[in-house]
Amino acid sequence: MPRDLARTLARHWDVLVSLTVSDLRARYGRGRLPFIKWVLDPFAVVGVYLILTTFVLDRPGENPGLTITCAVVPFQLAMLAVVNGMAAVSARRAIVLNMAFPRALIPVSSVLTDAAVFSASFFLFLLMMAAYAVLPTPAMGWLPAVVALNFVLAVAWAYPASLIGIWFPDLRPFLVSFVRTLFFLAPGLVTLAEVHGRAHNLIRLNPLTGLFESYRAVFLYGHAPAAWEILYPLGFSLLLLAVFVPVYRREERQFAKLL
Amino acid sequence: MSATASVAAEGIGVRFLFDRHRRVMSPMLAGVRGRKTEVWGLREVGFVAGPGEGIALLGPSGAGKTTLLRAIAGIYRPDVGRLTVRGRVAAVLSTEAGLMPTLTGRENASLVGTLAGLGRADTRVRMEHVKERSGLGSAFELPVSAFSQGMQARLGFAVAEQSDPTLLLLDEVHEALDHEYREVVERRAKRIIADGGIVIATGHDHDLLARFCERALLLSNGTVVGDGPFAETQAAYLEQPQA
Repeated sequence: MPRDLARTLARHWDVLVSLTVSDLRARYGRGRLPFIKWVLDPFAVVGVYLILTTFVLDRPGENPGLTITCAVVPFQLAMLAVVNGMAAVSARRAIVLNMAFPRALIPVSSVLTDAAVFSASFFLFLLMMAAYAVLPTPAMGWLPAVVALNFVLAVAWAYPASLIGIWFPDLRPFLVSFVRTLFFLAPGLVTLAEVHGRAHNLIRLNPLTGLFESYRAVFLYGHAPAAWEILYPLGFSLLLLAVFVPVYRREERQFAKLL
Repeated sequence: MSATASVAAEGIGVRFLFDRHRRVMSPMLAGVRGRKTEVWGLREVGFVAGPGEGIALLGPSGAGKTTLLRAIAGIYRPDVGRLTVRGRVAAVLSTEAGLMPTLTGRENASLVGTLAGLGRADTRVRMEHVKERSGLGSAFELPVSAFSQGMQARLGFAVAEQSDPTLLLLDEVHEALDHEYREVVERRAKRIIADGGIVIATGHDHDLLARFCERALLLSNGTVVGDGPFAETQAAYLEQPQA
C-alpha cells in the first residue's frame, strides 16, 4: 500500500503542490510574520526544556541545548502532523464537498505544510552548534536520510490522525496529550545513554527514540546513526502506512457525508 | 458537436448512516458501533444523459437533487447501483462553490483549476481569463471571506469554467447571481450544450432553467418520479401537493 500511495503522489504532483501552497496560505497567512513565528516556536520550547533540565532538575548533561534541540525539532514535525492531520480533511471542507480529487493526498499535503515550519526551525541547530562550539563532522552526510525518516514518520502518523479527526473529533485533545506523552517516553530531554536500567531498553520501543538519537548522531556524537535507530522507526512507519492508508482510501469515499 | 459527455445511472442509491446521537457515520464505523439508523438520499435512480442535453432537476427541498449532483460529480460514491460519467466535469454545488474563505480569488482559482485536472502552469496561463470572466476586478486579489454571496457565486462559476467542462453541474448557484451574470451563466450553459456537452442544473428559478434545459427529472424522496420535456415535468411537479 505505501507503493500505491507513492504512485498516487507521483501522478498528482501538481495537485499535491497546490494543496500544500493553499494550506500554507490558509494556515499561516502571508508576509514575513509566519516565518518569524516558525523560527521562534522551537526556540521557546527548547528554552523551557533547557531551564527545566539545567536549573530545575539539575541534570544538564553535555551540550544540553543541542541535546534537547535534537529531540524538539523532529518532534515538532511529528506533533504538527498529528495536530494538523486531525483537522486536515475538515479544513478542506469546501473543496471536499464540491469536487472529486484524490483525497489520499490530504494528509501528505498537510505534512508538507508542516515541513515548511520544520525547515525554518533548522536555524536552531546552527545556533546551538555555534553556542556549544560543536563543529560539523562527516556524519552530517546522514542528515538527508534522517530528515527523510522524520518526514516518513510524520506522514505515517498523519493518516490515522486524519481518520480519528473525522471519526471522533471529540478525541482531539486526548490524542494530542498521547503524542506529547510519547515525547517524554523517549529520550527527549536527555540522551539515551543517560537513561539507565530497564527503562533504557523499554524506551527503544518508542519510534521517537531512534529518531531523536539519529539526529544526535548527526549533530552531537559525530558518527553515523546505528542501524536500529533508522530501521526501527522506518519499519514502524511503513507498518502504520500499510495498515492505515487502505483504511483511509476506503473511508475517503465517505468524507463528503461525514463533514 | 465535438464533446463526448455522458451520464448513465443504473439503479443508484446513496445511503446515510446515523448513530444514536444523529451523527453521520461511515459504514466502517457503523460496523464497529453496531447500532445505526439509515436514510437513503437516493434510491433506485436510473437515467441516461447524452451529448447536447440540458437537464433540470426538479423537486422539493430534500428530494435528492443535490445528492444526485454530488454523485455525478464524484463527491458521493453510490452505495448501490452503477454510475458511469464521461467528460470533463465542473461542479458549482453551492454559492461557496469549493472556495476556501481565507484564500484570495486568484489563489482559489489556482487551487480549483489544479484540482480539476489542469497543470499548475496551465492554471497560471488561464488566470487572467478567469479574472476577466469573474468580472470581479481588483476584488479578485482579496480573500474570499470578504466577498458577498453573489461575488462568491461569480468567482465559483468562473473558476469552475476554467477547465473547459463538457459536463457542467449547477446547484441553485445561479440564484445567488445578479441579473447580468445570470445571462453569462445561461449563455455559457447553452454553449456547452451546443458543443455536445451536458448541463445538469437545479434551482427554483424555473424560467431560467427552462431557457437551457429541454428535459427535466422530477425527484421525490430520493427517487426519480418523472422524466420528460421540461414543461411537462414542471407541470407535474407543480401539481404535486406541496408540504
